[in-house]
Amino acid sequence: MGMLPDEIKAAMQGVIPSHVVTCARDGTPNASAISQVYYVDPDHVALSHQFFNKTKRNLAENPRAMVWLISPETFDTWDLELEFDHSETSGPVFDAMDMQIEAIASMVGMKGIFKLRSADIFRVVSVTKTVGERIPLREIPGVR
Amino acid sequence: MIPDRVRELLHGPAYMQVGTRDADLRPAHTFAVAAMVHDDRQTVTVFVPAARAARPLADLAHNGRLALGIAFASHEAYQLKGTYISSRPTEAADVARQEAYRAALLADTLRAGFPDELARPLTQGFAWSPGVAITFRAEEIFQQTPGPGAGTPMAPGG
Repeated sequence: MGMLPDEIKAAMQGVIPSHVVTCARDGTPNASAISQVYYVDPDHVALSHQFFNKTKRNLAENPRAMVWLISPETFDTWDLELEFDHSETSGPVFDAMDMQIEAIASMVGMKGIFKLRSADIFRVVSVTKTVGERIPLREIPGVR
Repeated sequence: MIPDRVRELLHGPAYMQVGTRDADLRPAHTFAVAAMVHDDRQTVTVFVPAARAARPLADLAHNGRLALGIAFASHEAYQLKGTYISSRPTEAADVARQEAYRAALLADTLRAGFPDELARPLTQGFAWSPGVAITFRAEEIFQQTPGPGAGTPMAPGG
């Protein structure tokens, strides 16, 4: 049995942006939104790499990342502890992410800005459904 | 000095993420519910739910390094990096600020085109009280709106 539960897949549709925290070798953390966290298999995810940014530079120095995900169906949230494995610039995962990025870009008015450079593959080290971060839906006024 | 636009976002309806790390450089993420910029325009207090505060507080006690990502529903985004100063439980004035923030976050997310059935549970579902106020000194500020300029340091006051 793999690390990722089936229920987490809904949080990987790109409906609500995810967030990733990385850390440079000098110990400075970096917090950034990420368009897409892609389910590769029960033990691996891929993050979209669109710009040459600090997240990418940090991962070259320190492969650890923490990703936060939220389901647009249940609004449950998860922390994914990840370790960078490798990047792919072609192949089925890249192609699927490229198509999904195009769809997300159209949806959020970022067509022409969101462009997939690589699918960065990570090993899932741990998965934790967060406790205490979310209010139960039934207790939120106006939510049916 | 925190630029006017970043201060406006910090006081307004921005989604906010606190990044910290432990002794082994393992990163951690905590969602924040509201923030305030102090009069010196360099000190920032950010509010996180008490139930999620143990890890960032342990990290900050160890090394004091903190990143705060802030983003509008429109994708305009910035990041502050700085050094931890102090923490305390939230008080009545903080909770009032958080309640105003939550209402503004919902309104802005709806204005950005998200349907009510998504925007309301998303924005109103973040636990906020009891909370912990974490104060830090912002030392670097970066443009982070998606695009080729993402990651560019911002000029003071710019």
